Formats: sequence, C-alpha cells, structure tokens
Amino acid sequence: MAVAQPPLTAPPQVLGRFWRRSPMSLKIGGLILLVHLIVAATGPFWAPYGQAQMGAGLPLSPASFAHPFGIDQLSRDVFSRVVHGGHIVIFLAVSGTLLGLVIGAVVGLLSGYVRGWVDEVLMRFVEAIISIPFIVLGLLAISAAGPQLAGEPVLVIFVVALIYAPRVARMARSAALEIVTKDFITIARLRGESAWSVMRRELLPNATSVLLVEFAVRAGYAPVLVGSLGFLGFGMRPPTPEWGLMISENRALLIASPATVLGPGLMLASLIVGLNLFTEGLARILGRTVQIASR
Amino acid sequence: MAVLRLVIGRIFVSVLTLLLVSFIIFSMVEILPGDVASRILGRDATPESLATLRERLHLNDPAPERYVRWLGNIVQGDLGNALTSSRPINEILGPRIFNTLMLSLFAFAIYIPLSLIPAAVQALNRDKTIDHVLSIVSLILVSMPEFLLATLLLILFVAMIPLFPAMSLVDDSTPFWEYLRALALPGMTLGIVMAVYAVRMLRDNLIEVLDADFIRMAELKGLSRRRVLLRHALPNAMVPTLNVTALNLAYLVGGVVIVEKVFAFPGFGSLLVDALQLRDAPLIEATVLITATVYISANMIADVGAIVLNPRLRSS
Repeated sequence: MAVAQPPLTAPPQVLGRFWRRSPMSLKIGGLILLVHLIVAATGPFWAPYGQAQMGAGLPLSPASFAHPFGIDQLSRDVFSRVVHGGHIVIFLAVSGTLLGLVIGAVVGLLSGYVRGWVDEVLMRFVEAIISIPFIVLGLLAISAAGPQLAGEPVLVIFVVALIYAPRVARMARSAALEIVTKDFITIARLRGESAWSVMRRELLPNATSVLLVEFAVRAGYAPVLVGSLGFLGFGMRPPTPEWGLMISENRALLIASPATVLGPGLMLASLIVGLNLFTEGLARILGRTVQIASR
Repeated sequence: MAVLRLVIGRIFVSVLTLLLVSFIIFSMVEILPGDVASRILGRDATPESLATLRERLHLNDPAPERYVRWLGNIVQGDLGNALTSSRPINEILGPRIFNTLMLSLFAFAIYIPLSLIPAAVQALNRDKTIDHVLSIVSLILVSMPEFLLATLLLILFVAMIPLFPAMSLVDDSTPFWEYLRALALPGMTLGIVMAVYAVRMLRDNLIEVLDADFIRMAELKGLSRRRVLLRHALPNAMVPTLNVTALNLAYLVGGVVIVEKVFAFPGFGSLLVDALQLRDAPLIEATVLITATVYISANMIADVGAIVLNPRLRSS
C-alpha cells in the first residue's frame, strides 16, 4: 500500500529548517569553513600580490593596514601568500583524506566480510602500521620516496593517505562485523553475490554514516599533518605558500615581526577549529560520538 | 585466571605486532634511494672502494638474510653503528633518551594539574558559563598543531616576556637551573597538548560519577562538597583517566619528534628527524623501532590496565 508522501518542500525552506534544527557547533563550524572555502577559491584573484612576488615593501616590516600580516625576509607580502595558500592546504588535506578513506574503507569492509586468514593477515598489518606514530610514519615514507618526489603535492597526498588508510580500515572493519550479522547479508550471500558486490551494494550503503563521520574527523586533522610535514621541511618546498612551511620560514622573524607567523598560524588554527566544530555537529545529527583530534 | 590469560594474550599480540613493525621498517629503509655504501663514501667513491665496502657491510647478501641478521643483533642489544658519525648507536642514544625522559617528566608534571583542575571546575559547574568557556578554550587548543602552539608560546615567553630561551640547547655542562629553563617551553607545549586531550574525557567521566548513587548518598550524609569531590568522585573518575594517560604516553613518542625539533632540544625526537634528513639507515631503523616499541608498550599498558581495573571488559 502506498503511503501518502509529504509534499516536497522547496529547497530554500528545507535548508532553512535544517539550519534551525542543526546544533550550534555545526552552524559556527559551517560558517568558518564557508569563509575558508571562499577565500581558497577566490583568493588568487583578489590577493594584492602574487604568491611568491618579491618587492612588496621593506623586508621584516611589521603588520600595517597595507600589509596586515607584515612582510617577510624576501620582502613578500605575507597576507597575499596566506591567501594564495588556502587552496593548497585544503586540496592536499581533502584529497589525502579522501584517498585514505577509499582505500581504508575497501580494505576494512572486505576484511570484515570475508574473515578468515585474509582478515587476520590484513589486520595484523594494519595494527603494525598504526603502531608507528603517524608523524614518524610520514617522515619515513617521505624519505623512502627519495629526492625526486620530495616537495611534490602527490607525495604529500599519498603520505596522508598512507597514514589514514589503516586507521580507517580498522574502523570500517568493525562496522562491517556489525553489519554482516544482518539477514540481508545472508540473503545476498545465498543469492551467490561475490564479496566485492556484497561490499559495494550492501556493506557500503550501511556504513555511510560511520564513514562520513570518520572522513570529517580525519579531514579535521589532515591540515595538521600537512602543516607539520611542511614545518619540519619534509612537505611542500619553498616558495609554496603552504601555511606550516610559512610558519617555519618566518619563525626567525618572530621578534621583529610576529604577524608574519601569527597570520598563517591564525588561518591554520581557524580552519581546524572550523572543521572540528562542523564534525562535532555532524556527528550529533548522525547520532554518533566522536573523539576530536583522534590521534 | 581468566584475567591472566587475557593479559598474556595481549602481550603476545604486542610482540607479534612489533615483529611485523620491524619488518615494515626494514623494508622501507631498504628502498631508501642510493645504497648505504655510496652514502658513506660520498663523492670520493671509486668502483673498487665501493665494492670493498659493500663486501664489508654484507650489502651483497640477499635482503632476507640481512633482515634476520639485523633483527638478531637487535635482540642481543646491538643496534649497530651510525653511518654519519660511525659511532655505536647505543652510545649516541644514551644522552638523547635521558633528555627526552626529563622532558617527558616535565610535561607530565604540567599535564596533571592542567587536566584535573579545569575538568573538576567544569564538572562542578556543569552547563554554566564557566563550563562553556572552558569547553571552547579546550576545543580551540585541541585544534592547535603542536608546532603552532609551540610557536605561540615562543611569541609569549620569548618575544613578549623574555622568560625562557628560544632554543633549548643543553649538554652535559648545562647547570640544573638552566636545564629546567630549557625544558620549560617544550615541556609546556607537550603538557598542554596532552591536557586538553584528557580534559574533555575527564569532565564527562566526572559528571557521570557525580550523578551516581553513591555520590548522592555521600551528599545526603552531609559531607562537604570538597570532601565528596576529592574522596568520592575523583578516585572513581580516575580509572578511565589512567587509560587516557597511557594513551597520552603513546602520543608523547610522536609528539616529541615535532616539539623537540621546534626548540632544537637534543633529545630522541630530534635525533630521529636528523637521522631521516641525513638518510642514516641504521640510525633510522634503530630510532623508529624504539619509537614503535614505546608506542606499542604504552597502548598495551592502557589495554591491560583497562582489563584489570574494569571487570566488565573481562568477559569479551
């Protein structure tokens, strides 16, 4: 029997209702993220100077109206560099997290479904990789990749994925273990569906909310990873305006012009606060609890 | 007996994981570009000298054989020699590990009051302004990368109020007082990072305990708020906190890598980064393996502690 559907509401009204019902953290986090996304997307078009343009003014000038974050050693406008860096940081963080999530989800869900020795071996490897603190694992992987790849965005993305994939896999596996007890999995198996097809059509849709929250939590920490690698000199290379690298470069100017460090620091911190608030709100809507900054 | 079996099982799994980690580390260092011999000899290398050195370092042996030999030496306590300084790694490690231990102790000394006090204040003033304010502060701090927090502390305590040195360079001849001052900023950074991680959980635990019947009972008996908090609530909220603290210990092995580097503190963490920068294969293998060992042990302690202290976990 067909149940009477409620009339479809116009999108603006749906959005309005969603906005009113959503938790405070989601609203504030969402607004911060929106500002960051707008700056990242449009910044390169309105930034007063180019991302590595020299001759912006007297080197080491402190913050002023014309140069809100001061001027660095190479007489580059730090504000412009910070604005140009937005899309780099967000792109590296999001694509690294996404790649890690996809690999981790496939491995974890399959492992939890097929069980047996495959599961045993995979999970031992996952546990072993997790036992190397992620910053150490990241540095090790970057050294192993060699000088040809050093400073390439692809390498940073792969390293973030390498760090996240095993952690996501462990999470996805425990989600799969819960789902496989359901009747519809037994039915799919009796239909003769392959493990891959069961994973794609039955497990994945039922693990969406787990994976969504996992993505949000990991994406919230990814800028820290990218920034830490850059700060230690293992991430992006100069003159890329990546914020962690900029903080490291301008640290020598701390006393002469603290704004050159505070500027990129403020952007990095606000991006992560925004992501974390958003995640907390999202998790509350989906009825899950999260440990922010899960390391 | 059941507990003992669980604990032994957990230890066995940890050893197995560590073995696998050693294999992963060895393979990753193996694929480091350029072989060890050409890295030692550098530009002076002639084909003949390279061949002799390769022979002497057994580089022509198959990788599995070298892995087994390397692992065998480590089990006997011999970590080999560093490439860059050709000194025994055991000798290099001593003072570095001592410095990092001192730093960790300092960080823990800051961590304990910094996590207990805000959590207690928040739990006692649940949903009041102070609770919300502290929640926001801890959320902001939890979002702060270590290197950024370290840099902010540098601005505050070096540039604005010159209290501590910007570089924590210490050696054997550093007087005790100077040594403590050198520990201040890296110690504070690590202490704050660990505390904000614990505060959120400790607050929720305390609130849960404060709602429990035995606390009602204690209050109805007419005990003072202070006594209820210190003698009844805190000890019961400690169990999950011990777990968090063990996890923080595991965090510390990774955390020191960044923080020591920021302050140029000559500890174990900066040794690891230096080894990676210089592509010193034996030193990389040794430091990463030690890091993983501490990490695995700390996690094991957290799990075993949870099993022993919480009978509900024993059945699973």
